[in-house]
Amino acid sequence: MMQKILAPLTLALVMLFLIGPFAIIVAASFSAGDTLAFPPQGFSLKWIAKVFTVESFRQSFAMSLFLAIGGTIAALILGIPASYAMARYRLPGAETVRFMVSLPIIVPGIIVGLALLRYFVIPIGLSITLALFLAHTALILPYAVRVVSASLANLRSDMEEAAVLLGASRLGAFFSVVLPNIRGGILSAFILGFVTSFNQVPVSLFLSGPGVRTLPIDMLGYMEIVFDPSVAALSSLLAFLSIGIVFLAERFLGFSRYV
Amino acid sequence: MFQNRAEAYALALPAAIFAAIVFLIPVGLLLSEGFRSAQGWTLSAFVDFFSQPLNQKVFLRTLKLGVMVTAAAAVIGYATAYAIVSLPPGAKGRMIGLVVLPLMISPVARTYAWIVILGRTGIVNQALMLVGLTDEPVRFLFTETAVFIGLLQLFLPLMIISLISALENLPKDAVPAARILGANWFQVFWKIILPLTREGLIVGGTLVFTGSLTAYITPAILGGSKVLMLETLLYQQVTVANNFVAASVIAFLLIVMSFSANILLRRIATARNRK
Repeated sequence: MMQKILAPLTLALVMLFLIGPFAIIVAASFSAGDTLAFPPQGFSLKWIAKVFTVESFRQSFAMSLFLAIGGTIAALILGIPASYAMARYRLPGAETVRFMVSLPIIVPGIIVGLALLRYFVIPIGLSITLALFLAHTALILPYAVRVVSASLANLRSDMEEAAVLLGASRLGAFFSVVLPNIRGGILSAFILGFVTSFNQVPVSLFLSGPGVRTLPIDMLGYMEIVFDPSVAALSSLLAFLSIGIVFLAERFLGFSRYV
Repeated sequence: MFQNRAEAYALALPAAIFAAIVFLIPVGLLLSEGFRSAQGWTLSAFVDFFSQPLNQKVFLRTLKLGVMVTAAAAVIGYATAYAIVSLPPGAKGRMIGLVVLPLMISPVARTYAWIVILGRTGIVNQALMLVGLTDEPVRFLFTETAVFIGLLQLFLPLMIISLISALENLPKDAVPAARILGANWFQVFWKIILPLTREGLIVGGTLVFTGSLTAYITPAILGGSKVLMLETLLYQQVTVANNFVAASVIAFLLIVMSFSANILLRRIATARNRK
């Protein structure tokens, strides 16, 4: 009896705790008032519209987009061959390679950013954009290797061996047999890498300069100075963007099989 | 299995070399700074670091919040996961979807929401003043409570998901059988559910604990400089004090904690595969 009431009540409270704050942010971004508040004062789209007119948001959005797309492509270019070598070749030291590329997941991002700042940006004069690009690539690499390895493990290896026996070159077999068969995994890795990089804060904390910063860092700075609903509006827009991408990926790719 | 070793290395080494140059070497150098001095290798940076009351306080607070968030997530996680697992398949899928949903949203946005809720004019204060529990707004922001709530909301989904997969492997009749034989809910939990889902609890617990220890955004937004945790202290040491030695000590502490948790997780994973 007790359980009949307790279970739904627990679920309702926990869901309120998990989803409620997000709903409040969405509601606050439609406010007509000038300060961040809930319940929102009136209804307007002015804060949603304002997001698109703030110059620094536009710049940092472009930067985040560049890092997420460029970093994921670079991580895949490095990660696909490495996953293939570990899955299909007798590779002494495969465990060491796997460990090394998966390290960025274990080490807190703030440390990676600081290390790059201290040893690459300051002494060598590496540009901050390039440092950000390298850091985001390193951060995405573990996900790329994990997802691509999982989809390679599901692919029978005798197909490409047959292709090679029938006269295809090893490279030709890879491009005509393996790659088309793991494209779902590659796309899933791309989406996972994109979302991870786009939402990433700690790794980019120390890697920012005049006009060069990622969107979440820009938002952190903006909300310290301005207390209007524009950060709420931007947050809801970004959240719907991420949810939309993941939803489409799940719908069309069965994304969760790989992750 | 292809045997050509040169080919294998040509494929695998670019990724490994990239990780070494961008990651392993700079991070290693940074960590070594905490152990170096003009006279050679030394632990004096660690002694200095822990001799300052503020640093001790931040270190203990980080551990304390990590333990409290993990414990709260475990209690809430069990109740939630048990309720979700008992649902019919369709509703179960939707509930899991709702639990995963917040993980897709930027942590900045998720933490920012708490300012609206806990701020001076936030909903909680409005409600408290409406029912007359307080005449003046209560200060919630920049307290340990706010950081605790923010961290719990951020990492609870990881615990719930780990416990759901553990509870799904629980034999279906185990709980009803124990109930029929006269066990109360407390006994059912301690003698049946907990031992059979221990692995899920450890996996979820490790994720929540390391997540809380190494969080930056939540303590930065909800704690500010009043409630520093290790990562916000690290940031302050670099940007305000320009003290790279202290930063390196904090980095070492964070990495040691994160690594130990990861080794524990890996142990559990290999133990499970052997079964």
